[in-house]
Order: sequence, then C-alpha cells, then structure tokens
Amino acid sequence: MLIDSNAYIGHWPFRKFEDNNPEALLNRMNEFGTDLSVVSNLNGIFYKNTQNANEELQEVIRSKKAFKDKFIPFAVINPIYGGWREDFERCTTVLGMKGVRLYPKYHLYDITNPSCIELVKMCRDKGVPVAFSLRMVDKRTSSWMDIENEWALKDIIPIIRTVPDAKYIICNVANSSNLNDEDTSLLKQTSILIDSSGRNLTNWAELFSKYGADKFCFGSHSPILDYCTGLLRIESLRENEAKEITKDLLRSGNIIKMLNL
Amino acid sequence: MNRRKFIKNTTYSGTGLFISNQLIPVSEQKPKGDESYDIMKEVKKYRKIDAHAHVYFTDESPGIQIDFADRLHIDKLMISRAMAPHSKGTPEEFKKCNDLVLKSMNQYPDRFIGMPVVNPVYAKESLEEIDRCLDLGMVGIGELYNHIKINDPLYYPIIEKYIDLKMIIHMHSAIGYSRVKLNSREPKNISLPEDFVDIAMRYPEAMFQFAHLGGGIDWEYACKTIQNCPNIYVDVSGSNNESKIIEFALEYLGEDRIFFGCDNSFYQGVGHMLSAKLTDKQRRKIFFDNYNNILKKSGNHVD
Repeated sequence: MLIDSNAYIGHWPFRKFEDNNPEALLNRMNEFGTDLSVVSNLNGIFYKNTQNANEELQEVIRSKKAFKDKFIPFAVINPIYGGWREDFERCTTVLGMKGVRLYPKYHLYDITNPSCIELVKMCRDKGVPVAFSLRMVDKRTSSWMDIENEWALKDIIPIIRTVPDAKYIICNVANSSNLNDEDTSLLKQTSILIDSSGRNLTNWAELFSKYGADKFCFGSHSPILDYCTGLLRIESLRENEAKEITKDLLRSGNIIKMLNL
Repeated sequence: MNRRKFIKNTTYSGTGLFISNQLIPVSEQKPKGDESYDIMKEVKKYRKIDAHAHVYFTDESPGIQIDFADRLHIDKLMISRAMAPHSKGTPEEFKKCNDLVLKSMNQYPDRFIGMPVVNPVYAKESLEEIDRCLDLGMVGIGELYNHIKINDPLYYPIIEKYIDLKMIIHMHSAIGYSRVKLNSREPKNISLPEDFVDIAMRYPEAMFQFAHLGGGIDWEYACKTIQNCPNIYVDVSGSNNESKIIEFALEYLGEDRIFFGCDNSFYQGVGHMLSAKLTDKQRRKIFFDNYNNILKKSGNHVD
C-alpha cells in the first residue's frame, strides 16, 4: 500500500499548475499506484479566512465517492484569525479532517505564538497530527510577491519542545536537517514523521541511523513538486539500506499508525 | 489505458477545484494486477546520459557520484569541475579542476566523459588547455562559470574553435532576476538568458547548453527567452524539481533541445523525468538520444 502524506489541491496565485484539481490528483495517484493521499486546500494559505478553504475541500470530497475513498483531508487553520477554535472543532468533528496544517510564515505569526501553542495542544488532545512544511516553493524561483524565507528543520524545534507529546508531520525538508544532540534526542522521542519530498533527504542510511526508519514516510508535495521524486527516494533504497518491511513502513505503515487508519 | 492516452486526456483548471468532465473515468485508469506502476522498472527501462554532472575535491568524490549513478541506472555522466563562482579563475585554477576530471575519468573510464573548464580572460592559456584536455579524451567544454559572460567577445575564439570541433559549449545559468532584482549571490558577469540569445544569434552554427533549468532560475522566463534560438539546448538538472519544468521546456523548445541531467541532484533529476507527461519516445530522447546526437557530431557518441 502506498499513501502520499503530502498533497494538495487548489490554486497557487503565482504559478499555473496542471494537477491541482481533485480529478487530476486522483489521476496521478492512479497512474503511480498511490492508494490514499493526505490532501489540503492550497487556497487556505491565501484566504484570510482559512475555513472557507476547508469547506471547499469538504465539498469536493463529498462530490464523488472516489474522492471520499482516496483523500484524507487535513484542515488549514490560522490560529491568529477570529473563530479559529470553532474552525478547528468543526474540521475535526463535523468535517472529519484527520490533521491540521499550519503556515506560520504565510499567516505571519511565530511558531511559539500562544495561539499556535494552544492549537497544537488541542490537536494533541484530539489525537490529530500537526503538519508544517519547511517551504512551499523554492525561494529562488518564487514570485516577487511570495515570502522569501524558508525554514530548516531546527526551526520547528521550538514548538516540539513546547508541546513534545503532540504528533507532527514535517514536509518538504528542503534545507538543513542538522540538529544538535539535544534536539536530535528530542526529535527521536517525539511522534513525528518527515515526508520524502524534501531535497535534503539524500543519505537514508544516515537518516535511519540518526532518527530511525519509523520517522519517515512517502510524500510528493504535489502539485508543487513533481510526483515521483519522493517515491524514488524510497523505492531506490537497496536491500542493505532498507528491507521490504522497512520500505513498507515508509510507503504507508508509519503514516497509517500516526493517523490511526 | 496507456500512458500517452492518459496524458492526452488529462486536463487542468486554473482554480484547482474545478472538476473536469472530460476526463476518463478513474475506474478505467486504474492499473490492474501486474500492470501497476513499478518506478524502479521505469528507471531501468531507459538508457541515460547525465548531461550535467560534476566531480568534487572531496574524499567521497567521485565514488559517491558513481554510487548514485548505479542506484538510478545512469549509464554515462558528462563531468566537469567548475571553478568557484567568485574566484579569479586563473590558469592554475582551471588546470587543477581539469586534472581532477582527468583523474576521475581514469578511475571510471566507462562511466565518465570529461569536459574541460577555462577562463577566456586568459586567452592563450585557455586555448592551450582545451587542446590538452581534448587530447586526453575530454569532449565539449563546460560547465563554464560566471567569470565572463557567454556573449563577451573574449569568448569568440573559443566558440569559433568549438564550431570547428562540432562540440557543445555548456554554460552555467543564473538565478538571475527571478524575483525582479538580480539575486544577491550572483556575480556581475553571470550569463543571463538574454546573453545566451545574443551569442546564439551571433554564432548560429555553434551549440550552447543552457545549464540546469532546475537550478534556481525562473525556468518559464528562461524557456520563453531562448525559445527562438534552435542552437540553445537546455539540461533539466538541478535541485528544484518543481512540477511541469520539463513539460514547459517541451512546449517552448521542442523535444530535441532538452537533455536529462542531475547536477548532483540525482533523485530530482530522474524523478521529474519519470513524473513528466511525456511519450515513451520523448522520454528516450531526453534521457539519452538528444545528448548522444550531440556527441555523434564529433564522433564521440555512445554505442
């Protein structure tokens, strides 16, 4: 089984995509053998009221059985915008969303903002993961109207340190994954998954040795990145680097466990 | 349904939430049984020439590059050791880089094809170095870096030499003006897409390789700028594996002007080639045939 832990539909205001509607995403999944995808609505990054994007996503998913069967919706919540607690409650209870994506850099708050901490604790209490993306697009090629700065893995540590018993998914590790010993130890003790879409994931043997194979999962970051590179990172692992049982954890086992699927 | 038909029937929308009614039903697209997608089978299916590869002054290189090439079934790598972007680019420096490439070629003669680097500020030494390197088995030139713009008259003697040799000139490209202002890390002599157009029009019989569309440049801007110069080829290497780079290049440049490459980002290089909506023939051309046809012009092709 293959589960994509990092996919989107929706519009990106600075570039035209081809695979950003639900039918196209489903086509890509079928083409490359993906059984399920964690999906959020990109519009949620740009709408001031992110709840409209969550409602749109829900409407899409309800429109077709295949979407309902194949898409695992994650909500986009902005914890410094009015009514976010109610948004969270509705998304995780009524709309059946299985996780929450946060975009502190786009929504202009610090990762240890009290409201962000409160939201992460609410996620923890509900047993749903919180997903952060180290970057959405490559800053080099991004629009002059887009944000300029990207995160490294260490930039996520403050919220993990504050709420160590929450569940986290870290997407698109495009920059340094170097952590000091203390932070490495923290990460190892945390319920966390790092998806395979980020360009900095190259030396798997070292990553497994440092963090454990139970810390990684397949993610495409589609439609922003190409669909196959994240998958290739896993499937090209040699027998002495990852046995089939380990590859199965990366393909789906680890994310199934985190999402209680 | 085969991949070509799948691609032909795939539509898109601007909003990303519109659901097209022209698509083939999902049930018809779903692979069945042993037809399910096996990415490593696809990797092995295509012969590959990495048109943009490097070796490095480290203990791990070139073994680590060969290891990635083995993992992803890359047959040949066009290697160079570019000079540092902000260095003086002295003859001593470019000879040292080329010596590393020669050493690597000797270590892996069946896998590496070396390409020399020079700095045309040192005209005599550059031409002599080209002769030395080609005599020792190198082919083409580059990745030339940003000491001098590609359209600077200092390059003219080298370009004219490569016209006679029927070999390609591989020049680094810039992040440039992706965000309107020239990126702060770029030296003033960085070659911009417009500089490639200028020199390609001056020397229509020369062949230029515009480096790494995935290397951080605004690839849409670049393809649109160079589209009318049939003697500018692009390699699609680089760490930026944004979707649609290859499809966009195909639309603007055509299937004969695109080379597969990695620029040491091996997963992205192969991954976005497999993800791109190409026919099998187009994929074969970009992975292997297009660059091999360039090599064939000088009799250095791969059998």
